[in-house]
Amino acid sequence: MDLAMMLDLYRDMWLIRAFELGLEREFKQGNVPGMLHTGLGQEATQAALAAHLEASDCFFPDHRCHGINVLAQQRHGGDGERIMAELFGRATGVCSGKGGSLHSADPAVGNFGCNAVEGAYMATVLGVALASKLREEPAVACAIIGDGTCGRGEFHESLNMAAIWDLPVLYACLNNGYAIMTPVGQGHASADIVDLARGYGFPCEQLDGNDIEECYDKIENAVAHIRAGKGPYFLEFKTWRWQAAFAGEFRPESEVKYWKEDHDPILMAGEKLVELGASVEELGVIEKEAREVTEEWISYAKESPMPDLAKATANVYVGWEVAGS
Amino acid sequence: MIAANTPASVDGPTDGPGGKKSKTTFVRALNDALDLGMERFPEMFLIGEDIAEMGGDFSVTKGLWAKYGQERVRDTPLSEAAIVGTCVGSSMVGMRPVAEIMFADFVGECYDQIVNTAAKMHYMFDGQFKAPLVIRTACGGGFGGGPHHSQSVEGWFMNVPGIVIVAPSNPADAKGLLLSSIESDDPVLFLEHKALYRARGEVPGGYHTTPLGRASVARQGTDVTVVATMRMVPMALTAAEEAAKEGVSVEVVDLRTIRPYDAATILESVAKTGRVVVANEAPKTGGLGAELSARIHEECFAELLGPVVRVDGLDTPIPFSVPLEEVVLPDEADISAAIGEAMRNSR
Repeated sequence: MDLAMMLDLYRDMWLIRAFELGLEREFKQGNVPGMLHTGLGQEATQAALAAHLEASDCFFPDHRCHGINVLAQQRHGGDGERIMAELFGRATGVCSGKGGSLHSADPAVGNFGCNAVEGAYMATVLGVALASKLREEPAVACAIIGDGTCGRGEFHESLNMAAIWDLPVLYACLNNGYAIMTPVGQGHASADIVDLARGYGFPCEQLDGNDIEECYDKIENAVAHIRAGKGPYFLEFKTWRWQAAFAGEFRPESEVKYWKEDHDPILMAGEKLVELGASVEELGVIEKEAREVTEEWISYAKESPMPDLAKATANVYVGWEVAGS
Repeated sequence: MIAANTPASVDGPTDGPGGKKSKTTFVRALNDALDLGMERFPEMFLIGEDIAEMGGDFSVTKGLWAKYGQERVRDTPLSEAAIVGTCVGSSMVGMRPVAEIMFADFVGECYDQIVNTAAKMHYMFDGQFKAPLVIRTACGGGFGGGPHHSQSVEGWFMNVPGIVIVAPSNPADAKGLLLSSIESDDPVLFLEHKALYRARGEVPGGYHTTPLGRASVARQGTDVTVVATMRMVPMALTAAEEAAKEGVSVEVVDLRTIRPYDAATILESVAKTGRVVVANEAPKTGGLGAELSARIHEECFAELLGPVVRVDGLDTPIPFSVPLEEVVLPDEADISAAIGEAMRNSR
């Protein structure tokens, strides 16, 4: 990978990290309602996916999805601040504040919306993929899932149906090691999710989800396979989330140190960039700009109005109005 | 499997072109509606278990696979969540899928897709997506189907904003309501009572729609209103004939759409009669009868001459053995008794 492309991906990863760090701070201060699941630590996979998905494709983002949601906005002519505003429940959010973190969608940039019921969109993605196939469009329908999601029955139903119908589905499984606090090997027959996917007969690969180059290349290959009409593809990204559980940090100190210091996707990419000839100052500027943009977006979100109260009863049905209180 | 005592044939007269009415079965009317929908909407497709070559457990899709091919009449494995998920996802991008869930009892397998995905799609993304899909399913008892092939599931969905529940009682409405459901931009749960599949009636020929969200007055009367759904409608009409012999004039309102339901037609009828029976096959507690009774009491208390009388299934699962099933499910005699009670227990 050349320096320019690597710098672009580095910039994308920093935007995700700065966004999530800023959001986490605001959440702790009580400015963001509801629950918060950040993608801190998983930036490489999200940035690499965003780099390969077009506005004419579709992706169903996972629980830790703010990063890819923002990058899709940036890449396809949307507004990143509208993702932030959605998280603050404001009228200027992509769903007018009605969806929040776990239901942010914007079809104009290919974002078909997270579904807070883990696994549900593994079934839904089949329909988008089938429509693409019937219309002979070379589009990719991507379901971004976590390791925990693979415990759902929809995992089997979806992979089986995608296989028998050769549907253009990219399964991007971000295996971050835990479903809340349950280790992946305790909750599944294999700690390597790719083992569960192999029986369906389409290509499955496991890769280092924190290595941006590997992620970028493997996704490029998978997307090309799908666009060529060769059917579904399953990628398992081995990664790790910074966010602990509601009960606090539960993972061994050595594990935390490994992933945050020795195998952090941004630190690893930074080292590679220096090898390729980037300066440390240049990288510092990228970080600084990402933090500045984040603060601008946070200000935008906070200054945005709350939704009109009539929105509470709007769009329940297409064909009927629902009476307000 | 095909239950021994269920209808399996769509053979019979087809609709003539040009709006000519002809007498046909409920199954045939549904089959015609699907055929006409497939002809009119290139983005429509059918999906379900053994709906293609076999034509479905009840023959509702018979002949359509041969006519439209396997891309548009699509067999699936036993994967109800994936069936409905396929409908939801494809409808998000402008397709008009019609799924068959073989028995309504199986909707538990796809309940999340219906309730949390399809029904909330338009709302939670604030209008950016629509889910114009139809889920047809065979419901209801009366044929010895046992606990998992006989249930009336409307109550499971009544508390779900965003879903449309359609429940025809006769062949003409089956055809018209199904075509309206296909046209609808909202997700529709389309309930087909198995005991009605063989019912015959006049059906308008050609493309014909019946509006969703509108009840019909199936019989005019002045003393008691019976609000009924699906199989309870023909039973209510029979009970009304019996009551007429006793000098009691019964109005029968066929609800047709259970959610969002047509309160105006009900309230108008109640204002006229002052006495109400609500007849629904599902278990009594927390069901349609409870909802309608509450609404009528809220909005028509002054006009009521007595309390609303409910006719429902018992609060039990549905047993297999026929005499036991008869104990559990409501019938004409229960409606007649309820009419009598409404007359006696009134001012």
